Amino acid sequence: MTSADRGAGLAIETTGLSKRFGHQLAVNSIDLAVPQGSVFGFLGPNGSGKTTTIRMMLGLAAATAGSVRLLGQDMPGKLDEVLPQVGALVEGPAFYPFLSGAANLHRFDAADRHASPGTRRARVAEALDRVGLSHAARKKVRAYSLGMKQRLGIANALLSRRELLILDEPTNGLDPQGTREVRSLVRSLAADGATVFVSSHLLAEVEQICTHAAIMSVGRLVAQGPLAELRQAGTAQLRLITPDAGAASGVLVRFGMTPVIGHPDGADAVITSVLPGSAGALSPNGSRNPGGAGGTGGTGERDAAAALEAAPEAIVAALVADGVRVRGFAVERGSLEDRFVALTGEGFDVAQ
Amino acid sequence: MSRSDQVSEHGSRTAKESGREGSVPRQRASSRSFLASELKQLFRRGRTQALLLALAAIPVMIAVVVRLSTAVPPGRGPAFLDRITQNGLFVGVTALIVAVPLFLPLTIGVVAGDTIAGEAGHGTLRYLLVAPAGRVRLLLVKYVGAVAFCVAAPLAVALAGAGIGAALFPVGPVTLLSGDVVQPGEALNRMLLIAAYQTVSLLGLSAIGLFLSTLTDVPVGAMAATIVLSVASQVLDQLPQLEWLHPWLFSHYWFGFADLLRQPIGWDSFTSNAMLQAGYIAVFGALAYGRFVSKDVLS
Amino acid sequence: MTPTWLRWMPAVAVPAVIAAGVLAGSVPASARDPLPGKTPAQVLAMIGQHTTKALSGTVEQTSELGLPDVPQVGPSSGPAAGSLAELLTGPHSARVYVDGPAKVRIQVMDRMAERDAVRQGNEVWLYNSKDNTATHLTLPGIASGKQDRGSRMPGSVATPEELAARMLEKVDVSTDVAVRGDVEVAGRAAYNLVLTPRSQGTLVESVAVAVDGENGLPLSVEVRARGQQEPAFRTAFSSLKLEAPDAAIFNFTPPPGASVKELALPSSGYAKRDLGQQGRETSGLGKDELGKLENDRKAPAAAGGAPSVTGTGWETVVGFPARANSAAAGAPSVDTLLNDPLLRQATVAVPGGRAISTSLLNVLLTDDGRMFVGSVPLERLQAAAAAR
Ligand SMILES: Nc1ncnc2c1ncn2[C@@H]1O[C@H](COP(=O)(O)OP(=O)(O)O)[C@@H](O)[C@H]1O
Ligand SMILES: [Mg+2]
Repeated sequence: MTSADRGAGLAIETTGLSKRFGHQLAVNSIDLAVPQGSVFGFLGPNGSGKTTTIRMMLGLAAATAGSVRLLGQDMPGKLDEVLPQVGALVEGPAFYPFLSGAANLHRFDAADRHASPGTRRARVAEALDRVGLSHAARKKVRAYSLGMKQRLGIANALLSRRELLILDEPTNGLDPQGTREVRSLVRSLAADGATVFVSSHLLAEVEQICTHAAIMSVGRLVAQGPLAELRQAGTAQLRLITPDAGAASGVLVRFGMTPVIGHPDGADAVITSVLPGSAGALSPNGSRNPGGAGGTGGTGERDAAAALEAAPEAIVAALVADGVRVRGFAVERGSLEDRFVALTGEGFDVAQ
Repeated sequence: MSRSDQVSEHGSRTAKESGREGSVPRQRASSRSFLASELKQLFRRGRTQALLLALAAIPVMIAVVVRLSTAVPPGRGPAFLDRITQNGLFVGVTALIVAVPLFLPLTIGVVAGDTIAGEAGHGTLRYLLVAPAGRVRLLLVKYVGAVAFCVAAPLAVALAGAGIGAALFPVGPVTLLSGDVVQPGEALNRMLLIAAYQTVSLLGLSAIGLFLSTLTDVPVGAMAATIVLSVASQVLDQLPQLEWLHPWLFSHYWFGFADLLRQPIGWDSFTSNAMLQAGYIAVFGALAYGRFVSKDVLS
Repeated sequence: MTPTWLRWMPAVAVPAVIAAGVLAGSVPASARDPLPGKTPAQVLAMIGQHTTKALSGTVEQTSELGLPDVPQVGPSSGPAAGSLAELLTGPHSARVYVDGPAKVRIQVMDRMAERDAVRQGNEVWLYNSKDNTATHLTLPGIASGKQDRGSRMPGSVATPEELAARMLEKVDVSTDVAVRGDVEVAGRAAYNLVLTPRSQGTLVESVAVAVDGENGLPLSVEVRARGQQEPAFRTAFSSLKLEAPDAAIFNFTPPPGASVKELALPSSGYAKRDLGQQGRETSGLGKDELGKLENDRKAPAAAGGAPSVTGTGWETVVGFPARANSAAAGAPSVDTLLNDPLLRQATVAVPGGRAISTSLLNVLLTDDGRMFVGSVPLERLQAAAAAR
């Protein structure tokens, strides 16, 4: 949680947001902070409360407790002023099967009282073009494939210029080609200055396009922040193969580690240990972090300092200096996936 | 962020790109275009057209059967059935009478029950609401759509009746219930008045259907409930034990349009009917409002 | 976000407003000044002297006589519309147009049908839309005087005036007459004249006549039966305009395609009664039975078997000889009654014959074809039958 992000620069801000369905707390007091201009991945296994949260953000469902601010305004109080600037895909696409794709978009655009009827035709054509559906514009939605519907749903979110896009599982049902197109679409939207909030249970998707992410588990928000920071919070693991288990342990303890000694195949000991604070220096992935509006502040420098002390090369040097026969040494990076599994306690696609 | 801020912030955008303008007249125009979109969608929809065609088939069936059969003795079957052979204009009136207890409520039940629940069933309700359509505005537009169908349905029966009647039978002056005779033009006026009467009659049922439609995401459920209520109301209206209740049943004046076939025209039942229906619209409109404005859209 | 309860406010408020409106509407306008006090005799005199010549209005009639209800289901005008008993069951509504004694039109508004009686001068037309029949008759002489109005109209629902006139004929020593608190009928303030039979031997408990406080026109008549909460019979104006109706209303020409029957009246002595009876038969209309029997009782004895009268006042029992003996066209016979499906259905077997019991009137049809009628308990009729 990066409390520094709180403030005027948030596109979405929830405080203590909760939703109860009967006895089940589907969303349990979450505090989301989505910086403006970010591409925000909303991660969580199926049934963790992502869609429910999005429904509350959009004023579709009333919160049991807590509040939502979208683009700096209260929801659902200022719904009429906020929603015209928000494009949304909620729980998959939904259309009138008896209307054509274009007619569906016309219908939804007509429902928006702020949308200008004069430019409707052009905007619909443009949105369809953007998702690559121009050729199927006149086709009845009944005859669309799931992927085509998904694209049409995204087109609907893009009917007008939006400040904020909330896309719930946008790549669901898309072929690899479509998935790639959605990714580049999201990037181009972000490049235009819009904030994109993408919910997904697919980590790869989030890792590839997001600058920030939050992780939901059973209705709770278990982690949130810039993607790099989330990865850092994940631990790197040191793996040492040596016959000199006792000496090696001594060295590792000096570095402030708590080594675990195992003998998986008899001869050599396999020592594993969490590498403290080492991840920051090794982060390979600064390139796709434009920094967001909020920025990440000074946390990176502090982590870098800590990492220097426990740098893998320093550990190896100390081991060798102490006469430990290093037969194998590896530092295994924590991926977002590890982090995800560690936080949610589950693999992917585990329904609640 | 106010709209003007937004415009200045993205001042370079063209109107086409931004797709929205802040002026009030523009919003009004957009409200009209939402209503237009609703009406277009309703009447272009195959199901609606099938309903109207089925209604129009009633007078056609009556006319053809009467044409092919021997004379009907007076006083048997629906009122006026025996007059059809003498005057084709009675086809429309007879068909309207036949349609009142079941066929019209049936079609209205389908349309009114579908209003909100149909959108919920398709999942489009959430996209209309985030458009944002506005919940009250959506409710109003949906009700106006149902009202438009209430206008169209009796009109379909009346006009199809007049058409087929004129085609198969002679058309001439029409004998009213009072025994007075009016010219075909005036008779047609009266038939349109009856259609209008039935439109008014169905407004209360439409409001009930609208309310029921906000209760469920399954349109068929709301439709069936609306139709069942229309039948129940008519059955209750027949039970002498419930005499006190009768003037409050929305179907109570459904057959009162006979007063429009008297000379002079009796407006009492029209007025009573209109007031009763207005009461139903107010009550069930308020219920629909209460329900829909606070409803969680989870479909 | 507005609290949820606030959103349900309209749903609570609207019915409340409607209920309040209905209650306010049903409470008679209390602001109205009370009518000047009058004795029963003065009110009776008002009725006798009222000069209302022209009016148009709607009369509502309800009966709770204990007869089986005529079912009125579906779009047809009902199988029993036009049967003798039909007018005695359930509610009826009729429009009445009067412009002087010689211009009268009464329209009984049935479900999807109408029965009309139109009088202009001496021409009288009866029309029934159900079977599209018209009956024409010419009255023998120019009738005049308001007494004739209404009661001269062949069969229909009874107008308050007509019924009041008949009820007031009964005012004699056997009746207690009082004026109760003012009532409002058709939006007009009226004296409430209540006739109560002093005798215990009649089914009638009381008769209330509302008399227009301004012009003495009877606005409603309500007959109550002993031991019954609801009025057994009530006829009242629900709306009333004291203006001459459009003259065109009294013009009637039978519509093309109608079967027209010309009715020749027998000698003038019987004109009144016969007209009534024929009207009833031809157009299927029935005056309220009470009135009809009353008429019959007063009619001059027809050739052969005259009706017998026993008892007096409210306890009067009228006996009719068997049909074979009665040449009087107008006398209701056992046969005609039993031919009416609704009435046949209403009869029950009793010692000595069959009986039709209503809350106001009993009819005994003896096995030998005689008929006894009276507003008295059935035992009285049986006693009268046995006395012969
Ligand atoms: N309409 C509903 N009624 C009851 N429970 C619901 C409803 N919608 C969702 N839930 C429950 O809320 C939890 C979160 O659901 P959802 O927000 O759809 O999860 P996600 O979108 O993360 O897959 C789930 O356990 C689900 O069963
Ligand atoms: Mg979901």
